[in-house]
Amino acid sequence: MVTEFTEKIVEVGGNKVQILTGGSGDPLVLFHGAGGNSGWLRYVQALADQYTVYLPSHPGYNKSERPEWLETIADMASFYTWFLEEQGLEGARAIGFSMGGWIASEVAVSCRHAFSKLMLVDPVGIKPQRGEITDIFIISPAQINELLFHDPTQAPEYDQLYSQPPTPEQAETAETNREMAVRLCWKPYMYDPRLPGLLSRVNIPSRIVWGREDRLVPVECAELFHQALPKSDVVIIDQCGHSPQVEKPDEFVRVALEFLA
Amino acid sequence: MFLMRFTERAYVNYTPEDVINSPNQAVRLTFSNSHFDPQLGSELYNKYLDEYEYSEEVGFDGLMLNEHHNTPTCLGATMNLEAAILARITKTPKIVLLGNPLPIFDNPIRLAEELAEIDMISRGRLVSGFVRGTGVESLATNTNPLFNRERFEEAHDLLIKTWTTPGPFRWEGKHYQFRVVNPFETPLQKPHPPIWIPGTGSPETLVWCAEHHYPYLFLETDHQGTQDMMQIYAETARQHGYEPGPEHFGYLVRIHVQDTDEKAEEVGRGYMEGNIGVGRIPLPRDYASPVGYGSASRDPRFLRLREQIRSDPFRVGGLDTAAYDDILASNRWIIGSPDTVVSKLREVLAQMRPGILAVWTNDGSISHEDSMRCLELMGQEVLPALREIGEELELTDPFQKAP
Repeated sequence: MVTEFTEKIVEVGGNKVQILTGGSGDPLVLFHGAGGNSGWLRYVQALADQYTVYLPSHPGYNKSERPEWLETIADMASFYTWFLEEQGLEGARAIGFSMGGWIASEVAVSCRHAFSKLMLVDPVGIKPQRGEITDIFIISPAQINELLFHDPTQAPEYDQLYSQPPTPEQAETAETNREMAVRLCWKPYMYDPRLPGLLSRVNIPSRIVWGREDRLVPVECAELFHQALPKSDVVIIDQCGHSPQVEKPDEFVRVALEFLA
Repeated sequence: MFLMRFTERAYVNYTPEDVINSPNQAVRLTFSNSHFDPQLGSELYNKYLDEYEYSEEVGFDGLMLNEHHNTPTCLGATMNLEAAILARITKTPKIVLLGNPLPIFDNPIRLAEELAEIDMISRGRLVSGFVRGTGVESLATNTNPLFNRERFEEAHDLLIKTWTTPGPFRWEGKHYQFRVVNPFETPLQKPHPPIWIPGTGSPETLVWCAEHHYPYLFLETDHQGTQDMMQIYAETARQHGYEPGPEHFGYLVRIHVQDTDEKAEEVGRGYMEGNIGVGRIPLPRDYASPVGYGSASRDPRFLRLREQIRSDPFRVGGLDTAAYDDILASNRWIIGSPDTVVSKLREVLAQMRPGILAVWTNDGSISHEDSMRCLELMGQEVLPALREIGEELELTDPFQKAP
């Protein structure tokens, strides 16, 4: 497995967007979660062995600029319809992780031809009926990391991601990323009551993937997404927390490639 | 010099273990209200009002109240209610609200109405302070901390316009929209009640206050740091064509008096023992300053100003984690017999030159009886001496000279 990607800044609607690209084959767009773009990790490279992977940083995250008007997930979805159009990516396959799953859902809702296939991984966006989405805005980043994994020892990149104290620049990026999440998801917290209704007209093949031991977003939401998305199936990954792509990358990639093929 | 009396009106019947065992070991926000006994609360509210009434009798110029939410350290969750009671049951002291946390109000017009009523019932004795509120205030009311400063400034502008411009008018702001602003009741004081701003010295607020000629009241800040912060205020004031004097500054300090130094020092420990919240068991950073709350502070202009302020040696570990003796030795709390207190306060006042002194007489586990004795001694010995010192040092207050 060769790790190769390029980082570039493209302009969308007059705003600079950071994008990591690599691999070959049909385009596949990845939507990162609320914490920000964590880069070209092992699972991304594995997907890039089959697809040309596009991993943009959302407006307001990492090195991407935020247009002054962009305040909500729906705004974000509108922005991404521009992005897909201008980058020639309409009709690509897409995977959205956590908050990125909410964004990708809203993109699919607002533009019928945005994606050909949609995979959502432990997404937020629909309010759980029994449990609650953990409030990550009143706990520390260290507490969030602890809740992120079911068993960090099974995440091959855990040390690489979390064992080093952040550089001042990384800390600054993490803080601005968190602020952007606060801007987008403050209230209602991490869901939109209109999303289930809107998803009912999204009739592309879709797959919902969830870590059974997700302690941030309850696994019951997998069923709620499944009910909302007409052409969806559900894959639950056992012994796994909120980020299957990091905690169990091999199993995750197998599940993803099987669906995307 | 304007002398006003303050207490946070602490709830007392809980233990450090209760706090340690609470979510995130925090005394605010998530410390369960199952620890609250309304029977005791009823007693405490009435005792605290008694103390404020007595504060008028012993000669304070002002009665200062504050407001916090989801915390046993301050029972003033809706300070304006207490203010309304004091407006009616007292006759002469100013009622100084420091302050209403503007960003958490979704309807500042309602606040304008409440304050106007308090001003009229008190026959024009209201001093209306405003604050951003701690992060806990934002979280307790689910107000997005990212917009805290924007909402503070917009709510302020709306309130001032409401009080000074004949209605009806329309308000279409970023955070507030009202089709008909026209509350029928307006404040007695014209153009509006005095506005003072308390805080611990964020440069953005100091600059904003100086731009508006609002007195800034430092809350228990480091003495050297306070003078550095006064400089920041003064620099902005000069850019706006005026030289600030003592009437532009206030200082809050815990001052407790008993008949002897020994007795006072023993009783004064109650500030620490009961009032667990003020840093002794630190609040999680994400409660005190949630994500986004300090976003404006990253403006390079304010970062530069911040570097001009000496950092508070006691804030490194939290004020209350410092040893009691160290706090007393550094005159951060002034505790002793009347003579001791007056002599120490002379030093502090000469150094900092505030026109407003907020006297935090009691809190935490200090009993009502000890508090009343403290107030009595204040009236007999401390306040008269402070007035002399104020005149001697020419500590002009905002009622003697408009800021």
